[in-house]
Order: sequence, then C-alpha cells, then structure tokens
Amino acid sequence: MNLNKMDSYNPFQSSFSKEKMVEKIAFSVMRSATYFVLFCAAYLFWDIFSKGSNKLFEGDGINWEFLTQKPQTLHVIEANGTTQKLSSEKYYKFKEKKTLEKWEQLTSTLTYIDSLKFLEKNLTLVLSETSISNLEIILENLILVESQSSNRKFEYWISLLSDAELTAKDFEIKESQVFSLVSSFIKSFFSTEGNRFRVLESEIAFFKANYFQEIASPDIEGLNVLRLKYLKFLETHLPKVATRFRDLGKKLHKSKRTFFENPTPQKLTELNSAATNYLNLRKLIFRLNENENSKIWEAISSNLETFNRIVQVEIQSKDFSYSGGGIFPAIVGSILLVVGAMVIAILLGVFCAIFLAEYGKSGRFLSMIRLAILNLSGVPSIIFGLFGFGLFVIFLDWNVSLIAGWFTLAIMVLPIIITASEESLRSIPQGFRESSLALGASKWTMIRTSVLPYAMPGIITSSILGVARVAGETAPIMFTAAYAMRSELPWEGLEHWSDFFFQGVMALPYHIYIVSTKIPQNEYTIDMQYGTALVFLVFIIAVTSLSVILRSRLRKKYRW
Amino acid sequence: MIEPSKTSFKHAIRISSLDFYYGKKQVLFNVSLDIPENQVTAFIGPSGCGKTTLLRSLNRMNDLIDGARISNGKILIRDYDIHNKSVDVIELRKKVGMVFQKSNPFPKSIYQNISYGLHIQGIKNKRVVDEKVEESLTKAALWEEVKDRLNENAYGLSGGQQQRLCIARTLAVEPEIILMDEPCSSLDPVATGRVEELILGLKEKYTIVIVTHNMQQAGRISDRTAFFYLGNLIEFDQTKKIFLNPSKKQTEDYISGKFG
Repeated sequence: MNLNKMDSYNPFQSSFSKEKMVEKIAFSVMRSATYFVLFCAAYLFWDIFSKGSNKLFEGDGINWEFLTQKPQTLHVIEANGTTQKLSSEKYYKFKEKKTLEKWEQLTSTLTYIDSLKFLEKNLTLVLSETSISNLEIILENLILVESQSSNRKFEYWISLLSDAELTAKDFEIKESQVFSLVSSFIKSFFSTEGNRFRVLESEIAFFKANYFQEIASPDIEGLNVLRLKYLKFLETHLPKVATRFRDLGKKLHKSKRTFFENPTPQKLTELNSAATNYLNLRKLIFRLNENENSKIWEAISSNLETFNRIVQVEIQSKDFSYSGGGIFPAIVGSILLVVGAMVIAILLGVFCAIFLAEYGKSGRFLSMIRLAILNLSGVPSIIFGLFGFGLFVIFLDWNVSLIAGWFTLAIMVLPIIITASEESLRSIPQGFRESSLALGASKWTMIRTSVLPYAMPGIITSSILGVARVAGETAPIMFTAAYAMRSELPWEGLEHWSDFFFQGVMALPYHIYIVSTKIPQNEYTIDMQYGTALVFLVFIIAVTSLSVILRSRLRKKYRW
Repeated sequence: MIEPSKTSFKHAIRISSLDFYYGKKQVLFNVSLDIPENQVTAFIGPSGCGKTTLLRSLNRMNDLIDGARISNGKILIRDYDIHNKSVDVIELRKKVGMVFQKSNPFPKSIYQNISYGLHIQGIKNKRVVDEKVEESLTKAALWEEVKDRLNENAYGLSGGQQQRLCIARTLAVEPEIILMDEPCSSLDPVATGRVEELILGLKEKYTIVIVTHNMQQAGRISDRTAFFYLGNLIEFDQTKKIFLNPSKKQTEDYISGKFG
C-alpha cells in the first residue's frame, strides 16, 4: 500500500488547536531564556579566564610572583630589542646586575688601578687632619673665624643704625624704614647660620626666639648686648660642630677601609656620599684659610665623581603604579575577612535560628522577628557599610580594622544564615526530637544530639551562599576594613597580639575596584584587573566546591 | 519521697476524670482509668477519638504541643501526680518510655541508637554500655539478627527490625512503663507477628500501654482493653469481655465493624 495514501486515511491526524500553539510559544520562550542565561554565564567565565590568564599564566606555567608578592610598580623596559615587564623588585635587581657588569669592566682597566692607588694614598694622607691634636687647632680657628665674621656683621648693622639718615639715602628708603631693614638683615643672618651649621640649627633657632624683641626692633644698645650674647653662644656651641667634623671623618675612614678591602659599586656609592658629607663641612670650617690639603681634596672628589658616573647605570623605563608584583596581601586579607566574618555569623546565626525554631513559641512577636530578619536581607550592602562605619569605626572607635569588617560582614550575611538554618532545623523529622525526649533527654541535650548534627548539612549549604557573599562584597568593607594599599602583611609588625584585630587589610574585591578606577588605565593595569578577578573567581569556586563536598559527606553520614 | 517498691502497686497508672484541650477544642472528656501493673492494656477506637492524646499525656509528651493543656483531673503514676511542680519531666520520661507509630531510629549506627539513652544519662563506661546494648537487643529479640553489624546505619534495617530497634532503645534506659503508639501500623504481617511476640514477652517485667487500630491485635496481646469514642471512654474491661460480651452498644458496633 502507498504510504501517502495511508496518511490521508490517518485517523490520528493532528489538528490545529490553540492550546498547542500556546505551548509551542511558551516552550520557545522558556528555551531561549535558559540559553540566554547559559550564554551570559559562559561569556562571563570566558572573558575573565581569557583576559585574566594573561597575568596568572605569564611566562611558563603559573605566575607565582602574582600570587605571592605585594603590589608593586611595573617598570616596562626595552632590553635586547624586546619589551620586558619588571616589577620594582626585579627592576632594581636588574639594575644592580647591570651596574655590576659595568663595574667589572671598569676594574679590569689600568687607569682604574692607578686611580685607586691614588685615592687610597691621598685619603689616608688627608684624613689625618681630623686627629685629636688637630681638632683642637681646628676648633680654635673655627671660633676665631666665626667670631670675627659675626663681629663684623654686628658692627656693620650698628653703623647702619647710628647714621640712619645716610643709610636711608644709600638704600633709597625712608628713614623710618631703617630699623626694619636692619631687623631683616639680622633675621636672614640667623637663617644662613642655621643652614651652614646644620648640627646647630635648633640651637640657633632657639637663640633667635630668645632675643626676638632685640631682633624685631633693633637699637644700638640692644645690638651690642646681642653681639656679646651671640659670641658667647658660638664659643659654647661650636665644639659640637668640631665633634661632628671628627665623626664624619671617622665615618669616611671606615667606608674607605671597607671599600678598599673589597671594592663594589655599592660600597663606592657609600664612600662617595661619606666623602661628600665630609667635604661640605670641611669647606665650611676651612673656608678662609685654605691649606695644602684642599688641593688634594679637589683631586679626590673629582676622581670619586668620575667613578661614580661610571657606575651609575640608567635604564630607561616606563612606570605604571600598582601594575606589577602580586596580590598576596589582598588574598590573605580576603581569607581573613571571610573566615572571621563567617565564624561570627555562623555562631550568632545558628544560635538565633535555634531560638526561633526550637524555643520560640509561634505568635505575633516571632513572626515580627522573622519579618525583620527577612527585610534585613534586602538592605543594600552599601547601607551595611555605612552602618558598620558609624557603629564600629566611629562609635566604638575600632577604626578601619579587621574586626570592624568582620562584624559588618557578619551582620550582612546573618539574615541568609538565620533563615536557611531555621529552615534546615525545621526539616529535621519531629520523630527525632520526640524519641530523644522520650528517652529522657533535656531539651538542650535533644537539640545538641538529635537535631543540630542532622541540620548541619543544611546549615553548611546556607553558609556557602554566605561565604560567596562575604567574599564578594566591596561596599561593606570599603569604609570598615579595607586599605587600598598596605605593604605589610597582617602578621607583620605587630606590637601586641591584639593589634592583629585592629588593623586594616587589603581585600580582593576592593583591590579590583582600586585598580579599575583609581589609577590611570592602560594595557598593564587591565592585566592586573582581570588577573585579580580570575584569582578571585577561582577562590570563590574553591570555597564553594569545598563546602559542597563537605555537605555531601555529611549527607551521606546522616541519611534517613 | 521514699520510692515505694514496685510490687506494692496494683495499678501502675491511675487516671481520674481527665479533661484535655488543644487550644479551645476539648479532646478528652472526663476520662477515668486505672491501668494495672505488668499487664498489657490496649486503647482502641476510631481515628480522632483521643486515644493517642491520652497515651502521650502519660509521659507528658503533649508538653511539646502549643496550646495543649489539662483543664481538670489528674494522672497518677505510682500514686504520684505527674503534673506536680516537683516532677522532673526528664526523670518521668526515663521511667515511662515510649515507642512511636513511625519507627524513627536516629540516622546513626545500630549501636549508637541503643547507647544514645545511656550517653545522655552520663553513662560512658564502654563495658557497661556494651553490656546494656546486648541486653536490650536481646530483650527486643533483635540481637541474633544484628550482632554482626552493630556499626552499620540503622536505616539499613527492615521496617520491622527498625521498630524492634526502637523498642530496644527504649528498654536500654530501663523504664518501668512502656507506651506504644500503634507500633505495628506500618509493618507487614510477619514483622507485626515478631513485634507482638516481643510485647507478650516483655509483659512480665514491664507495664505496657498500647494504642492500636487493629482489633485482632488488641485481642491477641492485651489483657485489658479500653474503647474510646469521640473523646469519651466508653468501656474499659478485661479484653475477653470487651470482645465477647461488651456491655455497651457502641462497643459492640465498633468491634463488629459497623462503624470506625
């Protein structure tokens, strides 16, 4: 028989109906909604994974630097024709290496060896000028010279005052302004003195303040008194300058010795700076009576400068803040925040749920409490942030700290945990409670032994949601616990163990926020953002799957 | 109070003119009943007649239910009012054990199910607990079946075994009175037979009160039977008399299956 013909006799032929049409449309809507959700999720994961893996899998395998180091500045340099990305730590190491290479080249030349011999010989020679016997002479000279020069200044000012009319003419000012002119001269004199004798700066400032009246409105008599006082001041305080000179000499001597024992670029830099410090003070002390050493010193310093120029290696680099190094402090901070907040939230939440489910008698009061808890879960997280800021940070004066963050986050997730814990407590068969009581258990024993253990899987499930939310929220910790940048890890630099709770930390979501909004954007910061996001995502997935495994284990243990 | 010796009582439980309410709804009307020692007493009657409520009153399990209260009358166990303020409900429930309609072992091992009651009483000595577990399981005629798998989950047992486990669990805390709320309602005939056998065996040492829907069962195992209807105790007498020669018309109708 012909198949087509059979069709025409088909008694079960489908007929058009409205119901079928509606079903078809509903089906396609449902299907596309599901596919849309799937697509969004897939795109999100693909986006984060593809962009984030740039940073996380930089080089060969996992970029451990990213996971174990603190955030640093990224230095992008051109080396051997390729672009290299180096975080601060590596950059400075690289620089040091380059310097060493150059140094080795230098030390193999004959000129270097000659210069070195010259330096060693002459430094030994000239440093003898700081010997104790010499120091007496230096001090005497210093006092003499300084007294003379100060004396001259005072005489000059007195002369200005004593013939005010002439002074006014010379300076082309009114006669009444002469006093303030002299006053300003004296003021600037003391400032210069303070600058010259860095060691005496505070003493001179004190002197100036003591004789403020005489300096502000000088007269001849007052200036004479001031002169005598100042000369006395110099006599008593200049020995300090001499001692300083001797100390710098000793220091130079020491750096010279360590350098010549084993010359390295770093020690050269130290020697150079010691020499510069010494020379500056020396110039001040010997400024008027040049001696034969001064010539040698000139040669020494020019020699040192040449050396220094050679070992200074400049590497051209473009610098991007926050884009180098790693996010270790943020990972640690997030873990600490999650663990602390969950401990507090589960303790509070489970006790609250037990009260509601087991002890609370049903009534208006209880349903009001439930309604309040339910409403709390709808409050935006930024409000919790403000609440925590007001209560914990300001009122309780905990400052921006871990503990303030813990409590803020705990209160934020409490509604989730209470509601879900109560649900799982209620899902425990009444029979367990009754048989436990019938065997002579008190109510608390019954709850502890025959309800809580079996409700645990459910409570853990609810905590999973809590963990994800606690770890993910930025707003509540923004004001209460998170720092944009903190170079110490939480266990570093604690004076007392309790300080641990009262310190701010870095956190992953806040770090993403900072690198996405608070620093100039470029390709390198984008790597950082997505890298952090990927680590964050992996962290959440890890925590969630851990809880899922734990839950299924408990479920297997307590099945009924 | 000096505890009188067990043998000095003819009646383990005396209920006198008890009125019971759930909220505003009265479910027991002026029930008076004396339950004799070392006998099996059965409560029968159609659903909702208050027999389970009465049973649960005997170890104050109704305390758990919001709005449940006794407005009038007394329950005396060993001649002591169990609603007296000085009665510790925990001690009461140790003396008056209960087996529920639905077998509900804890989702733990067989061993842990039995030792649970001992643990909450603070008995931790391993040897004592071991002995008690074996003794209780033997009394409940379950030892031979489970002695090799004491550490397996109790939910691996069959329904009848689970119910006998629940009975063993109750026996472990050494009660004097055992209340049973339709213990065989979800069991097949063979399992029911085993449990009935067990109940008859336990009669020598314990006073047993059993609620049942199954009138043949009441006839087979009980010494005395109480028939309840709509919250009233209609008739209470020797089981034989109730079944063969009831004095009330309602009892006869119920027994002969005319209603209920």
